[in-house]
Amino acid sequence: MIEVDQLSKSYGATDAIRDVTFTVEPGEILGFLGPNGAGKTTTMRILTGYLPATAGTARVAGKDVHAESMAVRQSIGYLPETPPLYPEMTVEGFLQFVARIKGVSPGDLSARVTSAINRCNLQEKRSVIIRKLSKGFRQRVGIAQAIVHNPPVIVLDEPTVGLDPRQIIEVRNLIKSLAGEHTIILSTHILPEVSMTCDRITIINQGRIIATDSPEHLVERLTGKGGYCLELRGDVERSLSVLRKVPGVTAVDVIDSEGLAAGHSRFQVTIGAEDVGSAIAAQVVGQGLELFELSRNRATLEDVFIDLTMEESAVEESTAAAVSDEAVPDKEAIA
Amino acid sequence: MKTLVNNLLAIYRRELQSYFNSPFAYVISVVFWLIGGLFLVLVLFSPDGPVAQVSAIDQLGVLPQSVDLPYEVLKIYLNFLGSLSMFILPMLSMGLYAEERKQGTLELLATSPLTNWVVALGKLLGVVTFYSAMLLPMFVLELIVFGSSDPAFPTILLLIGHAGLLLLAAGVLSLGMFISSLSESTVLAAVMTFGLVLVLWIIDEVASALPGPVGDALAHLSLLTHFTDFTQGIFDTSGLILFGSYIFLGLFLTAQSIDTLRFQRS
Repeated sequence: MIEVDQLSKSYGATDAIRDVTFTVEPGEILGFLGPNGAGKTTTMRILTGYLPATAGTARVAGKDVHAESMAVRQSIGYLPETPPLYPEMTVEGFLQFVARIKGVSPGDLSARVTSAINRCNLQEKRSVIIRKLSKGFRQRVGIAQAIVHNPPVIVLDEPTVGLDPRQIIEVRNLIKSLAGEHTIILSTHILPEVSMTCDRITIINQGRIIATDSPEHLVERLTGKGGYCLELRGDVERSLSVLRKVPGVTAVDVIDSEGLAAGHSRFQVTIGAEDVGSAIAAQVVGQGLELFELSRNRATLEDVFIDLTMEESAVEESTAAAVSDEAVPDKEAIA
Repeated sequence: MKTLVNNLLAIYRRELQSYFNSPFAYVISVVFWLIGGLFLVLVLFSPDGPVAQVSAIDQLGVLPQSVDLPYEVLKIYLNFLGSLSMFILPMLSMGLYAEERKQGTLELLATSPLTNWVVALGKLLGVVTFYSAMLLPMFVLELIVFGSSDPAFPTILLLIGHAGLLLLAAGVLSLGMFISSLSESTVLAAVMTFGLVLVLWIIDEVASALPGPVGDALAHLSLLTHFTDFTQGIFDTSGLILFGSYIFLGLFLTAQSIDTLRFQRS
């Protein structure tokens, strides 16, 4: 449904995005995840025809977003970061206006507007002036204007930002209910959001795509690096030496034992590629240590995200440091 | 073609609706009506006004030649309305695009299947319609005043004069719309548009002061000179073409400015 190939956009010398490539299948929800300023909004603006790309192509429903801009715009519903609303209009009047400019035929107009209002649960606010609506309702009107012309593709830029937890859940459910008949791209920097709503996730950082996968696969990628957490009673040194002797264990650390009963301590066991959970348990019990808890560390999406985005910036920082190191002798030479 | 007209109507209706829903637009209208009405009363009844002066001379019995009094009054009054509009028009055009930029609704328009031209034309038609609604009470007052003239005053002169006023307004509003598309600040747009109006005034003054071909050339380009022709009941096509060119220039610049906006947006 959406094919983005090697898309780049630069403002002067700075690259907003570089070689962004991904595809979205019909009916899928793709989560666009990245820290603020990573290029999410830029990518979405190119998709919706608002910004021209510097290089690369993007196609929506087989049509190029630049060459066949008008046709693409008709098949996209877009909710920008700040919902584009006219405060002096009523909800219904505004949706009728949007439906008109999106090319809905006059005969279908009222049916489409009513359907969007029902979809977004705005029945009671139908004839209220937008200025008087709360933030949550405005966001819903924003989503309603994105779906009013029944577009095959919906692009939502940070749809839940600034909402309270209850509203967030409502908006998420609304988005989920739109999937299937619509193809959806949504951007966010909130992790639970993507794991709850999206079929696939694309992680973008500093204008580049770092990973595209399902939430489960992304987490799986990291579980290998995980380990076990143990709570034991007794002598800390002896426990440490026993744990270190288990084959396959690469490191053992004592971690913060605050809140534990007296004489209890907690250990973090890091393991290699092989999963040696049962060996650890056998060794601990065999050596007569008193075991209270043995649990596997599960990587969350947070870990994946931080891990992936940190790797990038660590590389950048080390190169930057190397450059500045080289620069110092030069200065001295000049002096 | 049909969708173009539909889009144009949608933009036009929304624009007009926003004026009729805006308290600010009502305040401007009230001020316009108040000053415009007051001036009409002054022209007609003031002891120094043209009516009083002509009648004083007439009573002395030394009227040199026949004076077409209603015609003189209309000229004075239309010129006054034109000058008053020059202060009002920048305030009407200032929000046309600046407001859309501020609210983020320009992003909605720019991602809808609309061309920049349709949006600009729809907006211009909307604001010109609102301005003509502002002129309507003045027109009715004039009809009453000039209807009482004996011998009867030709209504066509009134119509030509007001057509000139509308064309002048459309030209200024069109350029004001372009200025409004340059920034997010409505105040800045109003100030800059007023600056433009001042420049137009200066051009007109310079044109009438300069003798020879330079002055003639400037006079041909001056909106106000052609407007004066209209107030005198002269309906010439060169004036029509000039006003049309200014309107087109404003629309063209607006469409271009919105287009370049996308390239610099960061």
